[in-house]
Amino acid sequence: MKTAQGAAERAHRPAFGLRLALWYAALFVGGSGVIVFMTYWLTAASLAQRDREILGSKLGEYAAAYQRGGLRALADTVQAEQRTAPERLFVRVVDRGEEAIVLSQPEGWDPEHLETASLSLADGTLVQVGKSTDARQGLLARFRAALGLVTLTVVAVALTGGFLVTRSAVRPIRRLTRAVARIISTGRTDERVPLPGGGTDDAIDELTRLFNAMLDRIEGLVTAMRGALDNVSHDLRTPLTRLRGTAESALVSPPDADRCREALADCLEESDRVLLMLNTLMDISEAESGALHLNRDAVQLGDVVARAVNLYRDVADAKSVVLTAHTPSGVAVVGDRTRLEQVAANLIDNAVKYTAAGGRVDVEVLADHQRARIRVRDTGRGIRPDELPRIWDRLFRGDTSRTERGLGLGLSLVKAVVEAHGGTVEVESEPGRGSVFTVSLPV
Amino acid sequence: MRVLLVEDDATIAAFVARGLREAGFAVEVAADGETALEHTRQHVYDVAVVDLMLPARDGLAVIDEMRRRGIKMPVLILSARRSVDDRVKGLQAGGDDYLTKPFAFAELLARVQALIRRATLAPEPTTLTAGDLVLDLLSRRVTRGGTQIDLQPREFTLLEYLMRNAGRVVSKTMIISRVWEYSFDPQTNIVDVLVSRLREKIDRPFEQKLLHTVRGVGYVLRAEP
Repeated sequence: MKTAQGAAERAHRPAFGLRLALWYAALFVGGSGVIVFMTYWLTAASLAQRDREILGSKLGEYAAAYQRGGLRALADTVQAEQRTAPERLFVRVVDRGEEAIVLSQPEGWDPEHLETASLSLADGTLVQVGKSTDARQGLLARFRAALGLVTLTVVAVALTGGFLVTRSAVRPIRRLTRAVARIISTGRTDERVPLPGGGTDDAIDELTRLFNAMLDRIEGLVTAMRGALDNVSHDLRTPLTRLRGTAESALVSPPDADRCREALADCLEESDRVLLMLNTLMDISEAESGALHLNRDAVQLGDVVARAVNLYRDVADAKSVVLTAHTPSGVAVVGDRTRLEQVAANLIDNAVKYTAAGGRVDVEVLADHQRARIRVRDTGRGIRPDELPRIWDRLFRGDTSRTERGLGLGLSLVKAVVEAHGGTVEVESEPGRGSVFTVSLPV
Repeated sequence: MRVLLVEDDATIAAFVARGLREAGFAVEVAADGETALEHTRQHVYDVAVVDLMLPARDGLAVIDEMRRRGIKMPVLILSARRSVDDRVKGLQAGGDDYLTKPFAFAELLARVQALIRRATLAPEPTTLTAGDLVLDLLSRRVTRGGTQIDLQPREFTLLEYLMRNAGRVVSKTMIISRVWEYSFDPQTNIVDVLVSRLREKIDRPFEQKLLHTVRGVGYVLRAEP
């Protein structure tokens, strides 16, 4: 109990949900980070590439002008161009005499922020063109700011989303844990875990359904056992009253050794009957509730019936009742041998008990491709139609059967055990002509 | 023959001990597992009768401990549990036989004696006698005062069982499991029928009656009145 409650409390701690949310957010942010970084890097690289291409084409132009008309033509071209160009470039020429001539120089330029390219001409003169990177850097800075904003949004979305997703994923589990904890602490097995509406059909719903199904089964067993206990305690009161009464009346009567011995013998017999009744009632209750342990094995029905018939051979002879058995071999069912012997014995017991001298009891084993049957047919006194449905009830004894000794539990046990084997038992009867009991078991 | 009886219920211990003493056993009673183990350190017993539900240390643990110390005496387990699983568990733990409560004392006695017989491997007799009734196990012939009596196989099995336990009461349950090898009580008078048929053959023609009914307990074959 303590451990189970501890586990339930541990499950209520947010650790699991929080961990899930953080993992989700970390993955989301990590993925977005990679995309942002790639975008920035590609943009920066392509901007730099474009600048280098501009410089390259300018260099080509200037080199052509220089070749056409020497330094003079180059200077003219540069000046004409720079006057109209939106962005002024830095241009200088270094001749073989190592003297540098600056042809164009943007205002306020910073040599640190300069992308340059140079070209060596045929006569050894070097033309150098430079372009300020300020514009590019400015663009990238704005881009960085925009990406930063995007990243912040992504983190916020990731955390919120992680929290929401986790909460909805953990909620059914929480519901399940809470229900289990409630059931453990109250012992109420009629409690069920509510299924979320909307007809979703995911793993958690499946778990919840299975859990509820398990509770159904447990509740069924508990209720059946409780009912069985009530019945047993009720059914034992009568024989215990007889037992007590016998002892009491022997004690209050005047002392008499013989009468006391008689009373003691009565007590002993009565207590044996109580024990037999208790065992039988427990067997019936367990079989009805599905709690009866069956040692299932392949059982030859012919052997089972032959043994049971053998058990009653002497009794039938003593009563001058003809007892016949038709037990073909090869009819096998899967079941508990001892329990099936008990079923056959109880049916034969009844048949012999309620059949008068000169009558007959025929027991046979039959089989078709689906069912194996034990049929017990007697020429006894039969059962009245109004009593027919009640013969399976515990402790029911028909008006005409009270003269015979018995507990009134034999047929209840037969029915319970047969049904625990997945079989059925049926009766046909005609008062004065006899009865036919048929046990049918799945092959 | 010494019996160690381990049973914490004083009333049950008293009636079992008295019955065993009347049957000629020396009985030592221990009310808990520790005392029982103490007894086995000091004495040698021919058989132990051990209840499973004991205070402090349960019967299975006691049997296990005795077996680990190399004590080999046969053990009859007494238990209030009747399921097959419990029986198997008891026998696996080192018990030699298993008896469910409530039990008839006659049955306990028969089982104790059977355990001793098995342990000592006493030579099998070839004839059983009770008064002038003689049963030859080899030729399967039964005579009384020289007169041959014809018995059916089941009657013979019953008589053999009663004669092996001559002087002791055997219960109906014991007879059913012995003669028909059925482990449950069929709630009917099949034993009465067989007993009265046997009585018809071995007692009715003779003056002295040998087969007696002990009401509420069972039957006994006794030569002396």
